[in-house]
Amino acid sequence: MVSSDMSSSEQLNVQVLNLLSGVSTHGDHHLAEVERDLVQMDGLLDEAIKKLCTSFMAINFAIAKQQEALDSMLKDGMSAPDYAARIEVIHGEISRHVGAAVTGLQFQDMTSQLIGRMVQQLTGLRDVFGELDANAPPLPESSNENLLEKLNGISDRVGARCNELSCDVRSAVKQRHMESGDIELF
Amino acid sequence: MAKTILTVDDSGSLRQMLAFSLKEAGYGVIEAVNGQDGLDKAIKQKVDLVLTDQNMPVMDGLSLIKALRGLKNYQSVPILMLTTEAGADMKAQGKAAGANGWLVKPFDPARLTEVVKKLIG
Repeated sequence: MVSSDMSSSEQLNVQVLNLLSGVSTHGDHHLAEVERDLVQMDGLLDEAIKKLCTSFMAINFAIAKQQEALDSMLKDGMSAPDYAARIEVIHGEISRHVGAAVTGLQFQDMTSQLIGRMVQQLTGLRDVFGELDANAPPLPESSNENLLEKLNGISDRVGARCNELSCDVRSAVKQRHMESGDIELF
Repeated sequence: MAKTILTVDDSGSLRQMLAFSLKEAGYGVIEAVNGQDGLDKAIKQKVDLVLTDQNMPVMDGLSLIKALRGLKNYQSVPILMLTTEAGADMKAQGKAAGANGWLVKPFDPARLTEVVKKLIG
């Protein structure tokens, strides 16, 4: 807060400190959000890849079992009903693993939303820094009163940009795991 | 004749996985890339169930549900939300707009088709 009892140079110092502190606080806040999204994305990707690896290996194993069953029928004379029953069990296993793979593959949708949010945060921060840069050249030649007025203007615009950014960037992805989500019928 | 489901999601990979899962279960699938596209396609061809995402460009899922419920043909057609949003507030908004259920992503194909079967057979 700048008091009217202060000299213009004191007011200028306070305003400069306020501005720097404001930019630093907002910068920290938005970068912390980006960091949080990156950590969340890393966790989701890690789980998704593990899930996909497990599914693909299990599908490969089930296909090998299918081949074994076919060999047993052709070479060892396994009966058609026995063969059909074995194939049905294997088919059920494959469907289950394909289902798990489909769940795992949805990481793309979730990480894409998180990346979109990070891009919004970084674009907003660039706009905040842009407000500082756009007003930088005339400052050294101005009087204290002019400088103070300019700094007040910059502070207001930086504050407004930061507020816009806070309102716009809401996270729609709260998931931290790749397990299937809740289902609720109304 | 196979029942038809309209899937509305801006993610191409998600639509692909939904189509795969629903076709495997014997349903016909029409895809739309956002709420407006979904509304246009629903008007063009009556579907048996709508499965929509919430956060999409052009028109979001809640707006799509409200628009569909305003159409005579869609007053009793089941509409499910399939979204990353899991908050009670959003679910309440979905229910108020006319959704019949809320599914949180990621979906499991077996559980999804079970719910669909329960609603449209």
